[in-house]
Amino acid sequence: MKIITWYGILTIGDDGVSECEPFNKDVDELAELLLQKDVVAYSPGSGFDIRAVAIECGFVENDEEYNSLLRDVSIRAAKLQISRTNTPDMQIIQAVEALDDIDDVVNVLSERLSEWYGLHFPELGLSSEPLSRFVSEFGSRNNVPAEHPMFEKATSSMGSELPSADEALIRTFASNACELYDSRHSIEASIVRNMEQMAPNVTLIAGSLIGARLISMTGGLARLSQLPSSTVQVMGANRALFKHLRGRAPSPKHGIIFNNPLIKNSPWWQRGKIARALAAKISLAARMDVYSGELHPEIKVNLEKKVNSIKAANPKPPVKQKPAGKGYKGKNKGGER
Amino acid sequence: MDVNEISEGIFEVRKGGKMILATKNANPGSSVYGENLLEAEGEEYRAWDARRSKLAAMVIKKMKVPIKSDSRVLYLGAASGTTVSHVSDMLPNGIVYAVEFSPRTMRELIQLCDTRSNIVPILADASRPKLYAHIVEQVDVIFQDVAQPNQAQIAAVNAEQFLKEDGHLLLSIKARSIDTVANPSKVFKEEVNKLEKDFDTQFKVIKKHDLAPFHEDHLGLVAKKKLKEN
Ligand SMILES: C[S@@+](CC[C@H](N)C(=O)[O-])C[C@H]1O[C@@H](n2cnc3c(N)ncnc32)[C@H](O)[C@@H]1O
Repeated sequence: MKIITWYGILTIGDDGVSECEPFNKDVDELAELLLQKDVVAYSPGSGFDIRAVAIECGFVENDEEYNSLLRDVSIRAAKLQISRTNTPDMQIIQAVEALDDIDDVVNVLSERLSEWYGLHFPELGLSSEPLSRFVSEFGSRNNVPAEHPMFEKATSSMGSELPSADEALIRTFASNACELYDSRHSIEASIVRNMEQMAPNVTLIAGSLIGARLISMTGGLARLSQLPSSTVQVMGANRALFKHLRGRAPSPKHGIIFNNPLIKNSPWWQRGKIARALAAKISLAARMDVYSGELHPEIKVNLEKKVNSIKAANPKPPVKQKPAGKGYKGKNKGGER
Repeated sequence: MDVNEISEGIFEVRKGGKMILATKNANPGSSVYGENLLEAEGEEYRAWDARRSKLAAMVIKKMKVPIKSDSRVLYLGAASGTTVSHVSDMLPNGIVYAVEFSPRTMRELIQLCDTRSNIVPILADASRPKLYAHIVEQVDVIFQDVAQPNQAQIAAVNAEQFLKEDGHLLLSIKARSIDTVANPSKVFKEEVNKLEKDFDTQFKVIKKHDLAPFHEDHLGLVAKKKLKEN
């Protein structure tokens, strides 16, 4: 019988170890070998003393050398293992969270910019990214060229003048915001790329950004694939869900997947049913991505068929049902069974 | 006397009027998690706070810690190494195998391992000892603090694979990780029962003590393997 130890392969006969094939005494090689998958099948039996054999068969001289070599190898191996747990879905989770962080920061900056620049050019009527781009490009409204659509407004503005020291400050401030917008765009692009590679079916059904958010909320593609589709349907609707649990609102019909155009572009009375169909297909798609990783275009076709039949069967709003809203008070009023 | 060795490698060091639990710093000059460094009789010690370590609480509760300077220790549930660092201090000629299954936490533990010569980090699930049986030898002591519902089973399978016949198991049992609502003393009784009867490897509990007020609803326990009859 052969067994594997961290320092080599041992053959065990009737009366103990009959052969010892030590590995190369190289920390990197030993660390790689330490992480082999099939150790379980060849593991030493209960009570087997692997240290004694390492010294007997001359792999190491003594206890001190055994300790220090094993220590070095296991630290190397643990570092390798950790670097390998950096899987594509970890990347996606971090990227989604980075997007949210950027949004928080950039919203604060652009509100400030809007007030600050508003002193000087209140008629501009831009906000968020277009505003930041405008200010970082031109600075003072006096720099807007004649062919620019804002030229007219700029020349007739009632805003106060912008001293050149302040202009430099506000331009730098605006270009900081622009850099964050740039970074946001490239993070989004990387999510789209990673999603297409790692979760082509989820991407096809949910869209890459919604799919990435679902993966991020569940903590990974594998976990998403294990969730019941009723959970997928309400994920991100936590606030609505808690209201429902406290009896103050009907069951929330859609969480983050509500942003999918199939739902968003449908009339309210169809949305719950479409959300259910969409969630079911997302669950299926996640399982396909985990198990085969190959694209199955037919699931999208099936989904569209299903959505069309929902639309055909529910052309008009039901008479008594009202959309969930602030006025909801009660136990059995409203549509949900 | 300013230093008093209360168990091998475990000291009380005088500071101000008080005696403080401590271990001799194996990496002088550096503090691992913000603990105080104490100078006494020409040596440096690291204060060991019972509120941050179940093992320290067990020492204060007068439970005998069977660790010697050359012991081989298997530590299950190492986390970022708060307690492991003190065990490392106690083992100038020994070694401690530190098993932890969260990669996030292991990242911090490795930083400690880099500064110590006697910690072997293992990123693995402690309920599957065959995953690290090619690394871990026969040990004198298993210390386990995993706070998991199946902790009795984890202790049994690891003791079966790794614990010497005369070795000791030190276990911290967290009542709430087994049953969040039941009365802790009932949970403890059931866990002790499991350890004594449920698995192939059975234990004889030598000593047990609750760890309050340092750790509420925790039981510290020292046990040995029951020798198999055959
Ligand atoms: C209460 S903490 C341990 C604290 C540590 N003993 C100390 O005093 O510094 C429990 C640790 O056990 C780890 N753990 C839980 N279940 C485990 C398992 N099956 N295998 C390995 N580690 C586990 C957890 O990730 C956590 O870091």
